[in-house]
Amino acid sequence: MAEQISEQIIKVKKVVSQDLLSGRIDLLLGWEKGHFWWQSRPLFARSEEDLERLVWDSFCVINLSRYLPDELKENKKIGVLVKGCDARAFNRLLQDRIVERERVILYGLPCPGMLDYALLIEEAGAALKGIAERNGKVILQTDEGEKELLRDDLLLAKCRHCLHPDPVVYDQLLFPPLGDREELEHFKSVEELEELPADERYAYWEKELSRCLRCYACRQVCPYCSCLECFVEQKSPRWQGRAYQPSENFMFHLVRAYHGTGRCIDCGECERVCPVGIPLMELNRKLIKDINELYGHYEAGLDPEQEPPLLTYRPADPAAFSEK
Amino acid sequence: MSAVLNDPAVGRKPLIVAFCCNWCSYAGADLAGTSRMHYPSNVKVIRVPCSGRINPMFVLRAFQRGADGVLVAGCHPGDCHYSTGNYHSRRRLSAFKRLLEFAGFEPERFEVRWISASEGDKFAEEMEAMTAKIMALGPNRKMRDARWQSKSLSK
Amino acid sequence: MPRTGVFICHCGTNIAATVDIDKVVEAARSFPGVVHAEDYRYLCSEVGQDLIKKAIKEHNLDRVVVGTCSPRMHENTFRKAAAEAGLNPFLLEVANIREQCSWVHRDIAEATPKAVALVRAATAKAAQNDPLEAPSMEVEKRALVIGGGIAGIQAALDIAEAGFTVDIVEREPSIGGRMAQLEKTFPTLDCSACILTPKMVEVAQHPNINLLTYSEVEQVNGFVGQFDVTIRKKARSVDATRCTGCGICHEKCPKKAPAEFEMGRSTRKAIYVPFPQAVPNVPVIDRQACLYFQKGRCQICAKECPAEAIDFEQQDELLERRYGAIIVSTGFDQMDPSGYGEYGYGQHPDILTGLEFERLFNASGPTGGKVVRFSDGKPPKKVVFIQCVGSRDKARGMNYCSKICCMYTAKQAILLKEKVPDARSYIFYIDVRAAGKGYEEFQRRAAEEYDVAYLRGQVGKIFPENDYLVVKGVDSLSGKTIEIKADMVVLAAASIARADAPVVGRILGINSDSYHFFNEAHPKLRPVETHTAGVFIAGACQAPKDIPDTVAQAGAAAAKTVSLLSKEVLQGEACTAVVNQAECSGCLYCEAVCPYGAVSAVEIEERSAGGTIKRTVAEVNAALCQGCGSCTAICRSGSINLKGFSNEQILAEVDAICLQC
Repeated sequence: MAEQISEQIIKVKKVVSQDLLSGRIDLLLGWEKGHFWWQSRPLFARSEEDLERLVWDSFCVINLSRYLPDELKENKKIGVLVKGCDARAFNRLLQDRIVERERVILYGLPCPGMLDYALLIEEAGAALKGIAERNGKVILQTDEGEKELLRDDLLLAKCRHCLHPDPVVYDQLLFPPLGDREELEHFKSVEELEELPADERYAYWEKELSRCLRCYACRQVCPYCSCLECFVEQKSPRWQGRAYQPSENFMFHLVRAYHGTGRCIDCGECERVCPVGIPLMELNRKLIKDINELYGHYEAGLDPEQEPPLLTYRPADPAAFSEK
Repeated sequence: MSAVLNDPAVGRKPLIVAFCCNWCSYAGADLAGTSRMHYPSNVKVIRVPCSGRINPMFVLRAFQRGADGVLVAGCHPGDCHYSTGNYHSRRRLSAFKRLLEFAGFEPERFEVRWISASEGDKFAEEMEAMTAKIMALGPNRKMRDARWQSKSLSK
Repeated sequence: MPRTGVFICHCGTNIAATVDIDKVVEAARSFPGVVHAEDYRYLCSEVGQDLIKKAIKEHNLDRVVVGTCSPRMHENTFRKAAAEAGLNPFLLEVANIREQCSWVHRDIAEATPKAVALVRAATAKAAQNDPLEAPSMEVEKRALVIGGGIAGIQAALDIAEAGFTVDIVEREPSIGGRMAQLEKTFPTLDCSACILTPKMVEVAQHPNINLLTYSEVEQVNGFVGQFDVTIRKKARSVDATRCTGCGICHEKCPKKAPAEFEMGRSTRKAIYVPFPQAVPNVPVIDRQACLYFQKGRCQICAKECPAEAIDFEQQDELLERRYGAIIVSTGFDQMDPSGYGEYGYGQHPDILTGLEFERLFNASGPTGGKVVRFSDGKPPKKVVFIQCVGSRDKARGMNYCSKICCMYTAKQAILLKEKVPDARSYIFYIDVRAAGKGYEEFQRRAAEEYDVAYLRGQVGKIFPENDYLVVKGVDSLSGKTIEIKADMVVLAAASIARADAPVVGRILGINSDSYHFFNEAHPKLRPVETHTAGVFIAGACQAPKDIPDTVAQAGAAAAKTVSLLSKEVLQGEACTAVVNQAECSGCLYCEAVCPYGAVSAVEIEERSAGGTIKRTVAEVNAALCQGCGSCTAICRSGSINLKGFSNEQILAEVDAICLQC
């Protein structure tokens, strides 16, 4: 059994502080504790002092690669802590030429999955004060005593779906890899929806999408949304109407998903940050599934050298429409 | 504004918007005319240089504005005037068509066809067939922006 | 708001019989921006065009919409008329109310509303139109031919005859290519050298042709009309201006090396001309073999040369030249059949490829024109030919048919019978493909008059026994196994693309098929053009080809080149892609899908908080762009747009066409 995630911080700190002090990097993107014990927020560390706040715990869900495009404008060389999904996000940005590989040092963190606070409080049953972790278990510390649960049962949905917990790209892998996971029901919810009659499926999406606030958090957090100006904000042409009504909700979400065709790295961040709980990954996974079926297995973000499926073709490609 | 105008889907023929590539399918549609073939008048063609020009947002916009069916027609694979445009559109529009269906559109609402400049008969037949299928489905209300017709007509 | 004029054509009764013209005109008057609308019986007539021109001036129109026949018919007519009235021609739009309306719908009730919708859509699009200019490019009146085989020779001669300067770049020390290696040509049995050599000499002597042998193209920049090409002229170590071609140097040279021209089946000297009829007849020192270059002593050639032409100090030279057009005629290779272990190629000296066998007939070939075995110098009495070695073989070789093998094998069987009258040929084949003028007759003559045994079937194994080769095969017609004790085996190895074809393709920005043969722009209608304007292809670099086809294609490529070079300026495409660089994030997906190499990365400087930053974005070369718009549909932010069919224009059309009236 590998050391607990909570014990790994010592090594993480040691490695990154060496690089920061030696000037190998100008800035370290890591995590620090937020207002609550169950939140870890981004840390922008430039000094040893800053590094004292660095944490690596079961709440470091935020993808730090997403901060690179902005930070690279002001820093020469940046170090980033990357989990499996963050590393794929980095490859997405790399392939889209948003970041330059040589200006980033990636510290790879094999990730056991991040905990879902909503699940923690639900399981706790009483006021939750904190947690401890031991041997694949999580001990919930509540007003009414302690409760021990399997760690795997308390993971975020995106982590339960995760196929590649280990970073696929890094300069230094800080801990031994955990190995890929097989998740046999990756497309289960997509398949269930596919079974429905068209009208019911439309009703399903109309209902789900009706909650959309058009806050665009899904876009903000997404590693494939790297446009300087998103189509939704453009005025000429006005692709996206502003009204909160089904037609415009569909427009936004279908186009958002379509823009991820062959590009979505399946990190699940959009769905995680959606404040109204729209199952956005069902749209993204539908496209992943179809591209796999039609044009061969492809996982975006694994290998930036591999050509994305929409940028290439084979003369004998199949089509999803009946050619005559 | 009357209720009927607010819901223009009532009491009208289906509208099919056909995006045709200039070199093959638009010429095929012209040939259908030159050969005096008949197909329903609810089919309206928009000329584009190549099926590779089609941004799926054009298709979605057509559904928003009241189209009951949308067709993209291009040269047969291998015959693209620009050599690779339809190979690219085949991938893009295949993915997009599946996504549309996943969102709840009936498969018949959005079609892609390869129609050459010599296939005037095929153009007419496809338009007949698509119209018949969409008549059977009835007007499309999915993604329709009911405000569009009334807003524009009241100008 | 634009000032749009709408003109509806009756086209006699062609439109007017099924479209209520008055209603369309009346409806048009209510469209946004329309300040004038009228109709006329024949708009395309002189009078009709004048009517439009007059209205443009009278009503100060800045947009024109015509409701007429198909734009494929008269768009240019009306655009020209608009231009004559001082309006940018691209501010005119056509609503196709004949081919796609009046002719396909039965009655007025049906066709009229549709005509209104089509005119409304055209009006909405026109409101979004911008004035466009087609880019014009100057043409450098000089052509480059890459590869001096029969294709390059023919193309260069045709271009030179038309009065244009043409340079031939040939990698080998001599022009001539594959055809120079052949003894005879099918189906006429012309001596190859007899018909090729005069052409080679003509090339050398033509005042409009510059021959750059022992040279390679290193870099190509620019675009049609103005290709900037870097050519490496490799050091020959012989001063071509002094050399008289007397041949003493290679006669006296003490060092031997395998002869490339003979596929290594014989040797040449370290200083050599590849074959006696070489053009130019100037030797080359192979520095890898030369004793002086390798060991610092010898210099016999320099001592013997009466013209003092040997120049050990000579350096590679880099030439920079500008060309208006380029013809690629780099030819083909023969596949090395050693991958087919059952045939034993490379294991036994008497198992040859077709090209190696061909050289046995040639007086300057490795055997001095005697058809004898490499193993013992005896003439072969039984020769087995195996067809489709590596061709038509999905599993291990090439999917395609190499096209020339059936014919040259028949030719070689005939030649064999003539040289060795008591010899017998056995040809294992899959199908005999003899399509071509005089080909079928020729092949039948081989079978019927030259005692050639055609065996439909495949060979499973070849192995030496005593002093012969046992060939074991199956006759697929009778199902019987066949065993032939052959003296020699000839493998019709596949014709394949040159090993460095991908490199050449990359340098020129032209694409290839999966076998690395260069792609034509259109398989039927543009067979010698490539997708890069101004770059043409000829000969077997495009696909396996025989000499007549190669020469025909070379002539076609030359004609295309001449017609290009005879223009003073080239008019480019007006409807090209354009990048909004401020919005472009620089992912360059557009570059990946562009079939013309018209999109490339460019670094721009941009003001950012507190200073300037450098950023990579896309840029379109309007001279290369053909206006397909594939780039625009892959661009997520719409930062690359297509003039004439812009996002704004198409969306305006969609909006308008969907309005029900």
